[in-house]
Amino acid sequence: MSTEIVIALLAATVQSGTPILFATLGEILSEKSGVLNLGVEGVMILGALVGFVVARHSGNPLLAFVAAGLVGSAATAVHGPVCLWFQGNQVVSGLALTIFGVGLANYLGTAYIGTPAPGFSPVPLPGLSELPVLGPIFFNHDPLVYVSYLVPPLLWLFLHATRYGLGLRAAGEYPAAAVAAGLDVVAYRWLGVVGGGFFMGLGGAYLSLAYTHLWTSNLTAGRGWIAVALVIFAFWRPGRAVFGAYLFGGIMALQLRLQASGAQLPSSILLMLPYTLTVVVLVLSSWRKGSSDEPAALGVNVAPVD
Amino acid sequence: MSLLRIAKRQEPLGVGGSCCVLAAALALSLALAGVFLALGGTSPLSALSVLLHGAFGSRHALEDCVLKAIPIYLCALGVAVAFRLKIWNIGAEGQFALGAIGATWAALTFPELPKVALLPLMAAMAMAAGGLWGLVPAILRQRLRTNEIIVTLMMNYIAVLLLDYLVYGVWKDPTSFGFPMTPLFSDAAIIGRIGGTTINWGLAHGLVLGLLVWAFFRFTRTGFAVLAGGDNVRAARYAGLPYDRLVFLVMVASGALAGWAGFVEASATVNRLQPSIMVGYGYTAIVVAWLARLHPLAIGVAALLLAGLRVGVENLQLDLQVPAAFGGIIEGAILLTVLAGGFFTTYRFTRRKRP
Amino acid sequence: MRIVKAVLTLFLTLWVGGAVAADKELKVGFIYVSPVGDAGWSYSHDVGRQAIEAMDGVTTSYVEAVPEGPDSERVMTNMARKDFDIIVATSFGYMDSMLKVAKQFPKTVFLHCSGFKTAENMGNFFGRMYQARYLSGMVAGAMTKSNTIGYVAAFPIPEVIRGINAFTLGVRAVNPKATVRVVWTKTWYDPATEKEAGKSLLDVGADVVAQHQDSPGPQEAAQEKGVYSIGYNSDMSTFAPKAHLTAPVWNWKVYYTKVIDEVRKGTWKAGSVWPGMAEGIVDLAPFGPMVPKEVQDKVNAEKARIIAGEQKIFVGPLKDQSGAVKLAAGAVASDEELLGMTWFVDGVIGTTK
Repeated sequence: MSTEIVIALLAATVQSGTPILFATLGEILSEKSGVLNLGVEGVMILGALVGFVVARHSGNPLLAFVAAGLVGSAATAVHGPVCLWFQGNQVVSGLALTIFGVGLANYLGTAYIGTPAPGFSPVPLPGLSELPVLGPIFFNHDPLVYVSYLVPPLLWLFLHATRYGLGLRAAGEYPAAAVAAGLDVVAYRWLGVVGGGFFMGLGGAYLSLAYTHLWTSNLTAGRGWIAVALVIFAFWRPGRAVFGAYLFGGIMALQLRLQASGAQLPSSILLMLPYTLTVVVLVLSSWRKGSSDEPAALGVNVAPVD
Repeated sequence: MSLLRIAKRQEPLGVGGSCCVLAAALALSLALAGVFLALGGTSPLSALSVLLHGAFGSRHALEDCVLKAIPIYLCALGVAVAFRLKIWNIGAEGQFALGAIGATWAALTFPELPKVALLPLMAAMAMAAGGLWGLVPAILRQRLRTNEIIVTLMMNYIAVLLLDYLVYGVWKDPTSFGFPMTPLFSDAAIIGRIGGTTINWGLAHGLVLGLLVWAFFRFTRTGFAVLAGGDNVRAARYAGLPYDRLVFLVMVASGALAGWAGFVEASATVNRLQPSIMVGYGYTAIVVAWLARLHPLAIGVAALLLAGLRVGVENLQLDLQVPAAFGGIIEGAILLTVLAGGFFTTYRFTRRKRP
Repeated sequence: MRIVKAVLTLFLTLWVGGAVAADKELKVGFIYVSPVGDAGWSYSHDVGRQAIEAMDGVTTSYVEAVPEGPDSERVMTNMARKDFDIIVATSFGYMDSMLKVAKQFPKTVFLHCSGFKTAENMGNFFGRMYQARYLSGMVAGAMTKSNTIGYVAAFPIPEVIRGINAFTLGVRAVNPKATVRVVWTKTWYDPATEKEAGKSLLDVGADVVAQHQDSPGPQEAAQEKGVYSIGYNSDMSTFAPKAHLTAPVWNWKVYYTKVIDEVRKGTWKAGSVWPGMAEGIVDLAPFGPMVPKEVQDKVNAEKARIIAGEQKIFVGPLKDQSGAVKLAAGAVASDEELLGMTWFVDGVIGTTK
């Protein structure tokens, strides 16, 4: 492969990794507060639909993007009462949220199939996009990709350098101790769940506003599940989430390009690559000891205090 | 502060009370679904009637339900076995696929065998293949500390693509005009129907396997060890339980049960292997297993109800032209409300004496 | 006890209430493999369904997103029990189920799309989409400058392979030096992946992208890169006005209205029908403004030849990718050969596995 194709491949990697990255970061935020949310797929698709609908009616993609995030928060807020108030099992609640969200989005979205809507187009960053190699790979994308560059460091800072982040992590690590220390664990978990939903909604909206400018049923096509898996892959660290999302997106882009350049391998085998390699890399990296930041109380409900 | 306070019940809510909570949860979710229907211009009451009628309102409907519940039940049984040890196997979908592949291999390789030999061989191959698919994440988990959720999930995708590879390639029926499907199985490889019904003998397989799983946890030392290990990993290790071996065991058993579901589905209902055999039973199974709190009998009931809901929703489409996506709305709503309702079986609200 | 009684009564009323007697209208039921919202295959059939719904004395109903296999058998049986007069199944995988059900309900007319099995009361039908594919290939072949054309394809089944082959023959008819590169996505409607597949073809030098896919994802990829595209299913020009050259399109209405008339008059006979451009079931969407007049004229002339039956497209000598002769000089491929096509013609780069 020529340099040009490799650069194109890496640029495609960034783009196809971006929706997964947003969703993965959202799930990290949620899980850091101790709440497992398997509803990512359902939340993403609602974000995708609402983003598309708002863009179509308002003509303002930025408004649509924010609206998608808010709807993501609203959708995960269903998860909140079930798990945080009524002590429902987080696994089932999340699965139910996925089933519900996908159903709702497909149900409400019928009218918007095959209609056009405004969205984001690539905006080369002045100066940076001129850089050799790095420019075309990282700085020749739509604005939402640039937004996605900012989220991991900000999320890391939030979790590690602010009071709220500390409380949120405490709620996920030692809820009992946090309660004893006078923290409102349930409130922090609400923050994690609803905040996480915001980013999942953004991830969905990226698909309908920037990656493509379309709405169809099942637009997310399983990307929410990949995000759930990548959180574990990332050891609950925002930085590694970037690596995971780009790895997955990159191999997906690579296998398509292998086909396009005439590789004589069966397509089923090539399509296995992203999944196989994710497992291989995970195995290699979990070999090292003590590398995970898994919240100790992940998936454990906090009994109502009284 | 609110006027209500939450208190833990001294004793869990009885059967009558639980049923009331369940009924209230169902009513709430149906009301929610009704709102969506009304928005779409369909009368909620007639929809409910059509839905119930399509799911349980006739012998045919009941048979359809049972037929659909069988693979869900077997997968959920497998999932429950692993979940008992708190091993989060979400790979039933892939293990189901491997089971179907294993059974198909036997059916295609030895089509001449008599039924009494071929069916057990297919079952054995299905269990072996499904079990192996379950063993891989177990080994990775215990030896290399790799998280089983991600490995089982990824292996689902790989299994489906492997099935694709086989039916698009080496196993493709030469008379299928190039379509991805294996040749029809010989008669000896097909699980027959029970009497004059449309239900196949897979139902009996399910009952026997369910009984075995129940007995395993109820009466055997190993079964007890799994329960103990699931309650407290560290304590189990101190007590000298062979934790690693238990993990391998439950994952193999889990995969084998899901694999058996694949065998029944390929043999009894599709009579061949084709990509459309994968309709997500492995994922449904997780929901079913959890709703039933991992109890074999309750899993049967939950599987039947969920199957009924899906069958009934088809009726809703046919009679009232409600989109298929509505099924997801109603299913999700029921799960969420039932889940939240579970709260009332362990907690209760009491009025505060003074605000 | 009273509650039990009430529930039982309710149940019974439901039971009886559900079994309403059939009215005299012709009831037609459709079974789709994907949601109607896929904007592609199922949608194109649903447009046909709506056309017959508008006819007098016809009511229609559909069930969407029905998996092939036991689920489809159940849905068809259910329709037959509800006294539907005609049941239409629009995916290949429904064939065996339909055959089983058709034997149980001899009075119902069963119609299966894209298969090959028939029964006394079960016919199959399809459209010769490859004719329109060939014409769209001619357009692509005339418009390419890099002599590399991309083709984003769904699943390696004969229908898709036949389309790629016809397309390539069309390309080669006007531009013998051009090649067609194929990428399989194993999806029917995942716009993001399909767009990415389109981009991957553009990255290796393709300057026209065609597709056998339900989403307009590849169209967008072409538009963004400033190159050309060929749509599918329906006119996709709204999604990529600057790129969209033309598209081979379905028009199922033609067949469905005809078959309804036949059933009504009692002239319908089970069998295989495979209408094409002459009947109007497939067509070419209007050309984009960038297609030069002489190319349009050439394609239209060829279209006239196809309609007149002079151009059969799969005419020997045809070689496969390895150069082996698959169809001897002068021979015309039979319908069976077309239905079971699993090899690529010379000029395609890719694998059918």
